[in-house]
Amino acid sequence: MTINGFKRQYLISLLTAATLFTAPVTFANGPVGEHVNHLSDNIETYSQEVNWLSTKVDEMISRYQQGGVEEAKPDLLVEYWEEVKFHSAIETNYVPVYASIWQGLFGLKGAIEEKASIEEIRKQQRFLEQSLWQALGAVKLAAQYQEKGLTDKVATTQANPGNSLEALDAIKSRLDRVVAKYAEKLSKEAVNIVHDTYLNLFEGVEGELISLDADLVEDLEKDFNVVLPQAIQNGKSIDEVRDIVNTMKGKIDTAHSLLEKSAEERKDVF
Amino acid sequence: MQRRTFIQSLAALAAAGALPLNISQVLADPANAVSVEALPRLEGELTLYLGRGEGGLYENVIKAIEDRNPDLKLRIRRGPTASLTNAILAEAKAGVRRADLFWAVDSGAVGMVTAAGLAQALPAELTGQLRDEFRFPDWAPITGRIRTIPFNTERLTADKIPNDIMALPDTDYSVGWAPAYAAFQSFVTGMRILEGDKVTAEWLTAMNRKAKKFAGELGVVMAVERGEVDIGLANHYYTLRLKAGKPDANVDLAFTNNDAGCLVNASGILALKEGELPANFIRYLLTKEVQSYLAEEACEIPLVNGVLPPEGLPRLKTINPPQIDLTRLADLRPTIDLMRDVGVL
Repeated sequence: MTINGFKRQYLISLLTAATLFTAPVTFANGPVGEHVNHLSDNIETYSQEVNWLSTKVDEMISRYQQGGVEEAKPDLLVEYWEEVKFHSAIETNYVPVYASIWQGLFGLKGAIEEKASIEEIRKQQRFLEQSLWQALGAVKLAAQYQEKGLTDKVATTQANPGNSLEALDAIKSRLDRVVAKYAEKLSKEAVNIVHDTYLNLFEGVEGELISLDADLVEDLEKDFNVVLPQAIQNGKSIDEVRDIVNTMKGKIDTAHSLLEKSAEERKDVF
Repeated sequence: MQRRTFIQSLAALAAAGALPLNISQVLADPANAVSVEALPRLEGELTLYLGRGEGGLYENVIKAIEDRNPDLKLRIRRGPTASLTNAILAEAKAGVRRADLFWAVDSGAVGMVTAAGLAQALPAELTGQLRDEFRFPDWAPITGRIRTIPFNTERLTADKIPNDIMALPDTDYSVGWAPAYAAFQSFVTGMRILEGDKVTAEWLTAMNRKAKKFAGELGVVMAVERGEVDIGLANHYYTLRLKAGKPDANVDLAFTNNDAGCLVNASGILALKEGELPANFIRYLLTKEVQSYLAEEACEIPLVNGVLPPEGLPRLKTINPPQIDLTRLADLRPTIDLMRDVGVL
């Protein structure tokens, strides 16, 4: 191997090691920008983007009224959404509304493609716009908390939970992401998140949890391995999948209380 | 004064700086587990790579060590054991070392690091605290987990379970297993080592016809308990924890005899950095307090001489596990290939 070749190999190895140490978080549409850690500085941009999206949706509906589906070009809806920075601001701060935005985008896109009545189209538009404004409100609130130092820095690198309670919190966030990915029509990715969450997070907690409430663990086992993946694979509605996830999150809250109480009562190591 | 009490008193004095003894001199011949009171304070910086497992119990142990040693600055990187193993190997290839210690939940992962020549030799009196079969020059097993056959007690009794794992395909019992699970794959690696690839492939093929797959081994045990399958293949502690949460659970444990079916695997720690500080950190994990804590709270098997498991936990002397160098469980790739070849994965 030449010296240059050796150096290149060395650099590749070093980069590999560095990548393994801090893997950047990549969401559906590329890496999260650092702007998510400076929300206040970007609120104006986000507001402009939401207005811009609303205008684009309005224009699309006008084109639909004038020239039908071909003129409307509904595929552009997803492109518009993926273009804006606001996308990752809401995705990293409040995933449930992020999922609603995708639900609204695809609701409107589907209604146009199916040549729905203008009343139905307007209904879908209202749902989308409500979700967008609700999302902007959530990001503004998050910006205030961020400014006061009340929120953790948004991870632009993946972190691992340090204990069972943190693992349960992480599970709830991942379950929200399942709904978001399903709303994005990424069913396979949604199911993968369910499986990864089970194997990498819940599986590490359930051994401790089962000695406290075996029935609860049994329920969650079934939810993770049967109920939720099957609902996604069978093409249930987003609202149905969201209901399953919300029920699971309630059980996770129960698990959280049980583990918290158990930790208080556990004997000291030394 | 009894010898052990005398040694502890010496250690306490040495830790306080009253005697010019180092820890190796103090613990030159520890026949039994050492109390944390006998250990020196930890001072300095360490980076620990911690394989995820056992909920927060390993974290509790680490926090207790930190609380006891305020002058120890411990950085922790957490992740799945397999990922951390890959990170250590990649870092070494790149000529960097970020981890000073690696605590893995699986001895196969430890074996990959020791095989790469990255683990430092540990003091003989440290490894000498462990039971004979768990002494290795460059890593320390912390706690053990036994492969078992959980069975449904409404349908079967222990004497109906074959004591030869290789005989399971010849029974009429329905079986639950979790082939994607790391503990199961280590068990198959153990079988490959003991029986050879051909026999293992035949066993897997025969079992595959009657086995129902589960994502994890707790799922296997729960399926056995509710009668979905007659028996399962799983580490011992899932059954014990289930019974702790549901005392009338319809499940109990059976053990095979001197084969992979009752393999004792271990979590383990190794030092990647030379010096007393990493070795002394490891000593804390071998104390009778930590060994007892993990046995009582996580149902894991203590591996240090003189620490008895609490009532209800299987004792190693009552079973007959096979003699396998646990680091050989690192030979995982051929296991995965074989499981794929026969359609189990």
